Amino acid sequence: MAKLSLMFENKIVKEVPIGSRPVTIGRSPDNDLPVDNLAVSNYHARVYYEAGRLVVEDLDSLNGTFVNDLRVERATLHDGDAIWIGKHYIKVDATADAAIPWDTGRKAAAPKINETMVLDTKARREMLQQAAAMGERSQFASGRVRVATLVVLSGKVDGKEYTLTNKLTVIGKSPMATVRLKGWFKPKMAAQINQRDDGYYLGTGDKVPSVNGNPIPGTVRLNDGDLIEVCGVRMNFIFRE
Amino acid sequence: MQIVSSGLSDVGRVRTNNEDSFRIVEPLNLFILSDGMGGEAHGEVASAMAVDVVNKYCAGDKEDSGATILEETPENWNSQTRRLRNAVAQANLQIFQAAQKNPEQRGMGATITTAWLKDSRLSIAHVGDSRAYLLRGGNLQQLTNDHSLVAEQVRRGLITPQQAEESEMQSVLLRALGAHPEVEIDVDETEIFPRDVLLLCSDGLTRMVTEPEIAGALQAETVPSAAAERLVALAKENGGIDNITVIVVRFEDESNKGWFSWMRRGAAKKN
Repeated sequence: MAKLSLMFENKIVKEVPIGSRPVTIGRSPDNDLPVDNLAVSNYHARVYYEAGRLVVEDLDSLNGTFVNDLRVERATLHDGDAIWIGKHYIKVDATADAAIPWDTGRKAAAPKINETMVLDTKARREMLQQAAAMGERSQFASGRVRVATLVVLSGKVDGKEYTLTNKLTVIGKSPMATVRLKGWFKPKMAAQINQRDDGYYLGTGDKVPSVNGNPIPGTVRLNDGDLIEVCGVRMNFIFRE
Repeated sequence: MQIVSSGLSDVGRVRTNNEDSFRIVEPLNLFILSDGMGGEAHGEVASAMAVDVVNKYCAGDKEDSGATILEETPENWNSQTRRLRNAVAQANLQIFQAAQKNPEQRGMGATITTAWLKDSRLSIAHVGDSRAYLLRGGNLQQLTNDHSLVAEQVRRGLITPQQAEESEMQSVLLRALGAHPEVEIDVDETEIFPRDVLLLCSDGLTRMVTEPEIAGALQAETVPSAAAERLVALAKENGGIDNITVIVVRFEDESNKGWFSWMRRGAAKKN
């Protein structure tokens, strides 16, 4: 995974890896790379992946962002590039860079049937029956309804068990969160679970959750029985029938 | 919450007419997108009608009537979500009736994907294969499930998402507005956080542009109009086989923004 090193007078001040979230740079302490210098804007620039490339973008900073010697608004970064912000610079290390923070297997294919059509009820029933017959061995085809559930094992939350009925389930301190965290200094939105056609996907929020002990690298598909940990809360992800 | 939004519709590179319609109703924070079908000019008629009926129904001050009778009101949703759902039911009924009355419009239909924000609560209603996405913390989350044959096969575990994207059956919808007097409508509610970005789009975008590309464009272009232009440009670069329509909505924390702009003015004066 690519990494950014904040340098000042040839010393490393801070290093951060670049994942699926943009890395922000600026004077404000809530940046991923805070740069304590008056020449630096509060939110000065950010670095992120776009279509597999690493990109730096200046956030309308007063004194500008420079890649090597060139002032840029947006630029693609390469291994060894230096991003200059005031008297600091950020070294770009993209050597081990094969990871693109998304499921790269998904590729948009061109449609074969051009005109959209709607099946009438009868055709629809027949087609789905055919489809079901094709996949009789599949666990979904038999008509059993499986409900995704989070079972709380330990930690301070407002419930013991949660059924995931919405497309998006938020785990956090927000009053509207589905799984509501209790206690001080908990983020409003710590992590989120997205229900998609082929299953449930756990994504980062203000925290990076762990699945079965490993911090997730971006968005991961959840499997029956997975152990999720975030903000001191441990939960089992299971399917109930 | 401060809301900045922008919509864009493009005929694409192959079609000669644009059957998509969209509308941003700023005072209501209501966003509507529809993709019409039915040949000749009737797809346009259906999608325009869908957008118009939903807008009028949500903006209207009279309490819910008519469409509510079609199906019992779901209890677990808030009043705004129920109203949006009924608006879509009304749009379905009106398109269906119009198609019955005018024989040349027989078979016309439309998808609909609509989102309505009140306070920080977002209501979503949809039928068909136009999608809603939410970009949050770098993750692109899909807020709708396509009502297409291939998506249903994926849900049943019969094919993989990859197979679905390569299938010849992608254009076969299981549900659309105007096909029957009643239609099953998917609704959902979700909480919006500052810095979230909502995207509504027709399949002309999602079949041409991968999700990582969509996420990248939304992250790169923080101004919604620029993000919309970039998404449409990407779809056209990748083939532009169908009409492409997008609505991009960015939610910002109001207080934070105000403080920020005051700081900037101060800084600019000094120089």
